[in-house]
Amino acid sequence: MIGTANISSWLPEAASTHARGVDGVFYGIYAAATIALLLGAGLAVVYFRLYKRRDKDQLGGVSSGLNRYFLTLWVLGAVGLAWFSFTAGIPGLVDQSVAPYGAYRVEVSAHQGGWDFIYPNGHVADTLTVQVGQPVELVMTSADVTHSLSVPALRVNQAILPGRITGAWFTATKPGVYDAHSNIYSGEGFADMVSAVVVLDESGFTAWLVDVEDIFAGRTLPEVGELLYTRLGCMACHTLTGAKLVGHSLKDLYGFEFKTVDGQTYTVDDAHVRQSLLDPNASVQEGFQPVMTPFAGIVDDQEIEAITVWLGTLSSKGGLEETATAEAAEPAPESASGDPEVSGEQEEH
Amino acid sequence: MSNGTTPAATPGATGSLGGYLGGPGGMGAWFSSVDHKRIALMFLGWTMVALLMGTIFGILLTARSLGGRGMDPRFVFETLTYHRMLLVFMFLVPAIPSTLGFFLLPLHLGTSNMIFPAMARCSLRFYVTGLVLLLVSLVIAPVGTGWTMDVPVSLTDPGAFGVLAVGLVFMGLSWFLTGLNIIVTVHHRRAAGMGFFDMSVLAWSLYLSAYLLLAAGLVFAIVMVYLWGSRLAGGKGVFGLESDPLLWKNYFWFVTTPAAFFALIPAVGVVTEVVSGLARKAVSGYRMLVGSLIALTALGSVTWGLNLAGQGQDPATSLVFAAFSSLIVIPAALILYSWLATLFDGAVSTAVPGLFVVAFILHAGIATLMSLFLASPAVGSFLGTTMFTSTLLDYLIWGGVLSALFAGLHFWWSKLVGLEYQEGIARLGGVLYLVGINLALIPRMMMGSQGVGADMLAFVPGPTMLGELSALGWLIMFSGFGLIVSNLFASTWGKRTATADPWGATTLEWTVGSPPPVGNFEESVGG
Repeated sequence: MIGTANISSWLPEAASTHARGVDGVFYGIYAAATIALLLGAGLAVVYFRLYKRRDKDQLGGVSSGLNRYFLTLWVLGAVGLAWFSFTAGIPGLVDQSVAPYGAYRVEVSAHQGGWDFIYPNGHVADTLTVQVGQPVELVMTSADVTHSLSVPALRVNQAILPGRITGAWFTATKPGVYDAHSNIYSGEGFADMVSAVVVLDESGFTAWLVDVEDIFAGRTLPEVGELLYTRLGCMACHTLTGAKLVGHSLKDLYGFEFKTVDGQTYTVDDAHVRQSLLDPNASVQEGFQPVMTPFAGIVDDQEIEAITVWLGTLSSKGGLEETATAEAAEPAPESASGDPEVSGEQEEH
Repeated sequence: MSNGTTPAATPGATGSLGGYLGGPGGMGAWFSSVDHKRIALMFLGWTMVALLMGTIFGILLTARSLGGRGMDPRFVFETLTYHRMLLVFMFLVPAIPSTLGFFLLPLHLGTSNMIFPAMARCSLRFYVTGLVLLLVSLVIAPVGTGWTMDVPVSLTDPGAFGVLAVGLVFMGLSWFLTGLNIIVTVHHRRAAGMGFFDMSVLAWSLYLSAYLLLAAGLVFAIVMVYLWGSRLAGGKGVFGLESDPLLWKNYFWFVTTPAAFFALIPAVGVVTEVVSGLARKAVSGYRMLVGSLIALTALGSVTWGLNLAGQGQDPATSLVFAAFSSLIVIPAALILYSWLATLFDGAVSTAVPGLFVVAFILHAGIATLMSLFLASPAVGSFLGTTMFTSTLLDYLIWGGVLSALFAGLHFWWSKLVGLEYQEGIARLGGVLYLVGINLALIPRMMMGSQGVGADMLAFVPGPTMLGELSALGWLIMFSGFGLIVSNLFASTWGKRTATADPWGATTLEWTVGSPPPVGNFEESVGG
């Protein structure tokens, strides 16, 4: 941030491909502007000395017409300066404006006090971690007031507005940790609008992904269950309010008794939840269609347990004997599948 | 006090200032005066008050940037808000048109007063009202929205925003009335036989910038009412302003981007007159110069979107604004060419105003060239909202307009108040100012190009080399500034000017006494 600004260079270190379209043009304009300034201000100083009044009654010469030759050169110089600075900057803007197809897409939700970076796998963090050499697209919006995301080293500087989606993208070219901050005052919490972009090499990024993929780290089982509910898309068919959609609501489900379409009665217990996830259409609750996607191979035993515990928390008869800790990896699988009574209801998920 | 003679002034005698200053004294007489010269002088005093207060806030911020970490962020941002508002709305805009402009325009046109004298007085009263209300809001509950008053922050800011908004409405109306007055005066009060292309470049510059003043002032007043109304409605969607933050950003920059131009265009007029007066030559390339000013006026009204690049404005629109903005350098180059041609083969005086002319060329040159960076699409979107852009604004305020104001004040001081200042002190102050301001601003420019945000001015984690250099620069600059201003004040105890035309210049104001009589030319004709 400010602390890293130094006197040795005009631009910060370059760590993204955008630097190509920015740095060269910047220094090009800088060189031309310096020459123009030295020429203009220098000539003024020279003329003040050269034509200095010799005695106090001396009069100036007659203002004759302008020298067309010099004037033409002068104008051409100015036009050239304008032309160069404008056109040389266009390729860079085009480059910045369009993210390449297939870029790694991270959603950014800014709020007073920081940013939430939401990864494709659902991981949410307040810093941005990316892989070197991989195009990253940021899709940004604000939850409250106007913010911005500025990462000088990556040549990213984009406002984030409430009610609008703004975009930015970059391809980091070297691993490292780069300062990120907001340039736009946002009232409360502005002093905290400081973060970092962590650029890792390929193996480092893969390891990091596996690491954040461990959804049990730092979460209780019901929290994991709730996370899976949104991440697996369960909410498309199952509400948490008791309202009926394509599937039965998840509220007051665990521990209750229902009837299948063939008239059999069953209780929603651990085994039933398991079956409903892995082979949901084996038996379907009365009043519903056998349309649920099987989740076999998608959820593992630990996740099934998390979902089961979480369902218990949503039920007035819930809880049962389950513990809310992550120890039991296999709740009671064989009893579940072997239970004849579970004539399979279409459970949730 | 007839034409070309010394006013009845005896050295050392107080209260015997001649000309328009010799009339009835006292606060009441001054404040109710409709004489354009008195109004201009009062405007000068008030803008200096605004500049001084803005400066004090700036000193607080500089102290903070040197590592004073005890300040609450909210307090820091309130300071930044008032600092920028005072300097931009209350100093940058009226600094030339309402001071030297009001004073010199009727003299340059060969007339006795503005066409609407009471409207000029009203401009001053609205200005003072705006300034007072700004300070009242500071006392009641400071506003911390930033000077851009971004929606939705300004809709919920806990400060006394309503008072501030009403103050800025008065400010906008003051600009509007000033612009209207200047336009109509130029159309109807030129001396007999004076065509548009016989007018001085200063009169032209005031006339052209008045159109921007007129439009921007009125729009400013209206959108401040709009913003205030939206705030009162509690963001309920009654006014629709809160539906899209870009809407307010467009309104705001539509007003304040021309502000940079209507501050700078009269500054060009002032410097042109000073260059011509110092060189004892008529202006070379008069029509080219006027054409360049017309071009700048036009460009000033179509470049506001440059400030919106990277802020949600789509890239194609940003490209159009960038194209217009990159053109600014062409009229700027023509203006400089005209000045150089005027100096060429002149009998150039190297008196104090010359120093400020060079300062203006340097600073306005830097500001123009900085705008090239912003007008280069990819670079501009990288530098937008950084300290690079706020430094460009600082170069306009402290570099451009203040240099031109000092050049003009030192050039016309004898005409303004009939007094002589100390050359040596003014020169020393000028050198300190020139060195100091560049030392203060170039490090900030570097911070900005390295990505430090404009609004982060006061959120520095600790002393940095660039920050310390900049602070040292401000210190040198303020000492020079103080020397210059107190030297001008001290001239009250100095010599009275002996001649009506100390420079041997040829524009009309030099044909009347120093200071001019109340009715300018009329009294001398009559008596």
